[in-house]
Parts: sequence; structure tokens; C-alpha cells
Amino acid sequence: MIPPKEFIKKIKPFSFLSEHELNILISGLEVKLFQKNSIIFKKGDARKYVYILHSGLVGLFDNGIAVDYISKGEIFGIISIHDFPYLLNARALEDTVSYLIYSENFKEVFNKNTKFSYFFSTFINRRFRSFKKIASEKKLFEEATFVLDIEKIIYKKPVVCSPDTSIEAATIEMHKNAISSIVVVDDEMRPVGIFTDKDLRMVVIRGSKLNPVSKFMSSPVKTINTKTTIFEAFTKMIDHGFDHLVITKEDKIFGVITRKDIRIQLEPSSSIFTLFRKIVKAASVEELQTIFNNVKVSVAKIAISGSSFFDLTRMLCMINDAIIVKVIEIIEKEFSLNNFVWIHMGSLGRKEQVIATDQDNALVYGRKRLLAFADEVNKTLVKVGIPECPGNYMASNKKWNQDLPAWKNDFKKWFNNPVPDNARYLSIFLDMRPVYGDELIYKELIESIRKSVTDQAISALAYDAIHIEPPLGILGIRGLYKGVDLKTYGIYPIVNGVRVLAIDNGLLEITNTKERLEMLSSTGVISNEMCHDLLESYGFFQDLRLRHQSSAVLNQSAEDNLVSVKELRRADLLILKEAFKIVSSFQKFLMNKYNVKRVLSHLHTYR
Amino acid sequence: MHLKDAKFCVIDLETTGLNIKEDEIIAYACVPVQELRLLVNNAFYTLIKPEKYKIEAMKYHGISKNDLDKAPTFKDVADKILNTLEGIIVGHSVEFDYMFLSKYFKKTGIKLKKDIIDIVLIEKWLEEKSGNMEIDLTIEGMMTKYGIKDHYRHNALADAFFAAQIFQLETLKLSKCGIDSIKEVLKIVKHSKYTTYYLNERLF
Repeated sequence: MIPPKEFIKKIKPFSFLSEHELNILISGLEVKLFQKNSIIFKKGDARKYVYILHSGLVGLFDNGIAVDYISKGEIFGIISIHDFPYLLNARALEDTVSYLIYSENFKEVFNKNTKFSYFFSTFINRRFRSFKKIASEKKLFEEATFVLDIEKIIYKKPVVCSPDTSIEAATIEMHKNAISSIVVVDDEMRPVGIFTDKDLRMVVIRGSKLNPVSKFMSSPVKTINTKTTIFEAFTKMIDHGFDHLVITKEDKIFGVITRKDIRIQLEPSSSIFTLFRKIVKAASVEELQTIFNNVKVSVAKIAISGSSFFDLTRMLCMINDAIIVKVIEIIEKEFSLNNFVWIHMGSLGRKEQVIATDQDNALVYGRKRLLAFADEVNKTLVKVGIPECPGNYMASNKKWNQDLPAWKNDFKKWFNNPVPDNARYLSIFLDMRPVYGDELIYKELIESIRKSVTDQAISALAYDAIHIEPPLGILGIRGLYKGVDLKTYGIYPIVNGVRVLAIDNGLLEITNTKERLEMLSSTGVISNEMCHDLLESYGFFQDLRLRHQSSAVLNQSAEDNLVSVKELRRADLLILKEAFKIVSSFQKFLMNKYNVKRVLSHLHTYR
Repeated sequence: MHLKDAKFCVIDLETTGLNIKEDEIIAYACVPVQELRLLVNNAFYTLIKPEKYKIEAMKYHGISKNDLDKAPTFKDVADKILNTLEGIIVGHSVEFDYMFLSKYFKKTGIKLKKDIIDIVLIEKWLEEKSGNMEIDLTIEGMMTKYGIKDHYRHNALADAFFAAQIFQLETLKLSKCGIDSIKEVLKIVKHSKYTTYYLNERLF
């Protein structure tokens, strides 16, 4: 492979491209040297190339003012691809080597691959053209591949047959294609079963090769869709002990993935992947402790490398859940338990937990109170490395360890009398998600909550989302030198505002902010544009916080939410301001919708 | 002629050994350079089937007998290769590659007569000019020096590409020394004494 291709392949979003698409970019690629202080392009020049910096330093200038600096692995000149001339001046600040991609070729790939183009059209890039450099170091990159969609690693067309195909014909087909499974589909190409080498053994033992394949196939078949991440697919295989997973797109067969396919993709080494396997196999608390510590470090590395919050939290949430479930399983053995459901709330409930994490859990039991058990689980989690919740929102607290009628009552009480304390309980417990145990108990609770919602409580919750104003002043962001609290000013207003909209519209079982937003937008509660803007700013706040906390983990310093001007790149600063503006207009929307106002002295703050 | 206006082709060969009389070419790669830009898209690479396969050389080039059995012979691709040799031939220890190619073309009845520029000799000249005598002139050493060290794989196409990048960066240095014409560069190359040291360094 020619070196530029290897170089480019490692840079996100080029990593999303197929071999064919990469070849389109490479065809017509040139490598050019720019002497220090030479002009690369001028504002208003007709577009010709998209540039990828190989080495050196480039400044982008607008009327003589530096807008951004571009270094190794970063891309510039992108905005020009939509038939506009270049909008800025680009000048080499050091001797610089750049790869030049014909903008026509770039455009071709851009139009073809939505994942690729989405990367460029997101908020950050749309408005500020500045581009995050993504891990070019190989190791980090491998870890980042976990969050790629599964469809990226499916190269073969699926081999399929109909249910009445004979075992013989199906096996011949498998043999011809050198594969270990064949997908059995109905007339509309929907998978109804899968027939594998293993099933073939059963035919030999007690069947005939003339039998229809439907007699011996595994059915119904577990499927996942093309947008599942590689990591999720792999965990599913491990959880269910499958060797094959059927991938569908709009319910129709898209491909088959085997454990081996994933291994080939991920090996030689990837710590997260190995760690997850270890969690599943772990037998003792001590083991989990070591694993969890390694997880934190690996996650921090991935975060620093620039993986997005949304992708990363999907993976993280599964790891956190797996550890907690494992702890429950270990401890459950010491107790004889009747039915119960273990609940996560707060950020863990929303599947949005980042690195600095604390326990937010509760328990709903069927008949017998399970305090001693919960206490043991909470203590063990502390040992593993997940600190106690400072507000004592834990299952070992008897307030949060109750039977179903008591929980139903609590919610009724909170909804009927939303004084500040009760409103706070609502915002915490409305993000609850069942993690272990009897899901029916949870379902019953949700149905009861649905009937308990009051307008009064909705206004109180809306107030929670609007009462803190983003720190926007005439001169930009206030207090940036001391540090701005991203959680208070950016993340909470969005989380709280989105929650109130979700509850108000009966979306009780969705707890994740992104999923809530997407559902609200698809049901027309908010516009697509608002959904997009909120997702972009929410993702940005979270990315920034993630990066901030990751460096704390790696430097072994205290983790907090205060981001100061020192750690922000110029482009981040501009985006941060935009993101706060979006929060501000979202708050105005909520104020109008729920008829709530900001009072000067607010009496309660969200924890 | 100004360096900017000249055409170059940066080449690299894989051979079964260093002996020009006995050893054979098994791969050829070329990256064209125009207006001092590397035209990656016009890069050319081919394996060449030798008459005899030397197992022991495999550890240097990593090309299997199987791959070579399927490859065209030099005669099959001689025209194509000749087409890629446009302008001045450039490379790392390119004298060696040039001698091999001349021998092969001679067999097909073509007399190869081209100017050549060895990036090693340019580097030596540049370093000596700045008073530096202890220099690593292997391709890896030069890549490290110019900050283009990559996940290095010994492969003719990658080597040709890296040599082209080094050459590009050398032209920048040369122009800072006031040298920007082909004539002057060829003069530097001619006056540098060629020693087998570099040759040996290349394979051993």
C-alpha cells in the first residue's frame, strides 16, 4: 500500500471509508511542500483541493487575524467543497508538507458515504471549519474501532436459502462459499433462522440430508442492525454464547458476522476488548477491582484520542453495567433472594456516565426487604472503585429500597406536591433504568408513574431546566479564566429540559438524552433543527468534559467539571460560546411552552 | 532549467542481491514528481519474475516465490517501465538501480541514457556544507531526520515514495543554499564521490 493511503486511513473520518472510497481519494492525490511563509490559498480563490497536513504548521487567517492553526493529521479547505471559493487565507507558518486531494474526488466520496459526510457537517465543522485531530497513534486507533458500526466490517454478501431448501443443497451452498453458516430467509429476505455447522451435526445424528433446512435451523434468529457498534455486537455474542450474528438493515438480511471476523478486526491487542471479556469471566471482587482500574485508563486514552461522547458512552455504559451486574451476581449467591429489580438512576440511568463516576442506584423488591444484600453490593462496588453517592442515593438507603406499592406512592407524592426536594427526586428517579432482576416489576412501576404525572410537577421540572442562565456576557463567556462549570451551565439545562419534554409526552422508558431528543423530534414535539442543535451542543459539552476529565485520569489529578480558558483551543472557545447560545434559546423555548419564569434568587440548586 | 520546471521519476528496485552480474530485479516502483509535487496517482509498481528465485534474499524483500511466479517478466513490462522513466531519475543509492535497469534494458535492445540524482549524495553535500560529517544515510535514517518516519515496511513502492519525499525536502534545503537549477544539482551529484558504503548499507 502506498504510504499516503496508510496515513490517511488512520485519520478520522477517513477511517469510515471503504477501500474503494479511499482509492477514489488517493487517485489524483499529490504531495506538496510549502515553504515557510508561503501562501497555500487565498480567500476567494476557486476551490481546487482539500488539504491534509502531513507535517508542519499552517495558519488560517481572516483579514489578518488568525482563526485557527492546523497541525499534523488535520484537514483544511473543506468548506470549499460545496462549490464555494475558499473563505480564509491559508499560510504555511513552518515548512509544511501537505497532501492535496482533488475536491472533485473528495466531493464524490462525501456524497456517497453519509457517515463520512456527517462528520464534516456536524456543528463544529459546519460553523468553524476547524477540525479535531483524531488519534494517529496506532494503539489508540485500534481501540477507537470498537465504536465503528458493524456494517463497516461486513464485506461479504450474505449467503441465504429458503426454509424448504434441502439440507443437502444448503450444505453444498455453504461449502461452495467456504462459510460456516447459511441464513434462512422468507420471501421478503427477512431472516427466519440460521443453519450452521453445529446444526449439521444434529442432521448427521438424527436427520437426513433430504430434510428441509427449516427442520434443523436455529430459530428464531438473534439479529442486530447495521448501526450496532462492533463492541455491542461482540458483547451480544459473548452474552448469548453465539458464534454467528445475523445483521439486518430495515429487517432485511444484510450479512453475517462471526466471532472470528470481529477478532480479526480487533486483534492483535485491544485492551478494552480484553477487559470486557475479563469482566464476564471474573470470579472475584479483587479481579474486578484491577479490571475496573484498567478500564478507566483505557477509556481515558480513547477519550483523549477524540472519540465522541455519544459513541463512547454507549460502550462505557455497557462496561459499567457489566461490572455492576457481575458484582450483584457474586453477592446474590450469599443471599437467598426473592424477586427484585436493581435500578440505576442519574447519569448511569441515562447511559451517559463518563469517567468520574459515583453510584446512583435503588432497588424495588417484591416481598422481602433486601437491605443487607443492597448494603453488601454498595460496599463491594466501592471496593471495586465506584465511589458512594455523596447524596446517598443508593439501594442500601432504606428510603430507596422499597417494595412496589411504596415506590408508586412516592412518585404520586412527588408529582402532587412538587416542592424543591420532591422535584429533585423526580429529576433523579425519572431517569431510572432497570439493570438486573425482574423487569416486570419495573414495567408495573412505569405504568403507575405514567398515571401520576401532574401539570404542576411538569412546571416545576421545567423551572429546574431554565433557572440557571448560561454565562454569556457582552465580551464572551464570563468567568472563563477561573473556569466554567460545564455541568451546571451546559449539561444540566439540556438534560433537565429534555427530560421534562420527554415525561410530558409520555416517553417514560427512554432515559438517554440523545434518544429522548431523537424521539421528541420524530414525534414532532421539537423541530429537527432544534434536535440537531441541541445534540451538537450537548455532544460538545460532553466531549469537552470528557477530554478534561480524561487528562485528569491520565495525570492522576482530581476530576472536576471546571474548564478554563487555558485548556481550550481557539476553535473550542468559539464553539463553546455558540453552544451556550443554543442552551439559552432552548431555555426560552421551555419558558414559553411551560409558562415559567426565571426568578432572581433561586432557592434550590440541582445537585 | 529551474528545479520547479523539471520532471523527475523517483524509483526503487527490489533485487535478489547486490551482484549486478548475477542478481535479478524482482520489483520496480516509480513515483513521478512534477513542479516538485509528488503525483501519487501516477505511481507505478510491478513485481518482476526472475529466472532464479533466491530464498535467502526473501528475508530482505519479503516477496514470496508464489507471488513472483505469477508476475510478468521484465520483457513483458519493459515498455511500461520505460514510459515511467520520464525526466531525471532520482532515488536512494540510485546508481545501483540505474545499473541494474541499464543491464536489463540492454538485453531488450534499449540503451538507457538518463541523468540521475542520488538523494544520498545530495544529503551528504548538504550535511558537509553545514559542517556535519557523521550522518546516517540509510533510508530509515534519512526518514527519521526529515520527520517522515512511518510504520516502515520494506517495499519498493513505499521506499520510492519516501525517497521522493526526502528529495522534495532536500530541494527546499538546496534552494535555501541558493541552488535551484538542474544544472547545479547535477554538478553536486557528479562531484560527490560514490562509495560502496551506501550500497552495502542498503541491504546489509
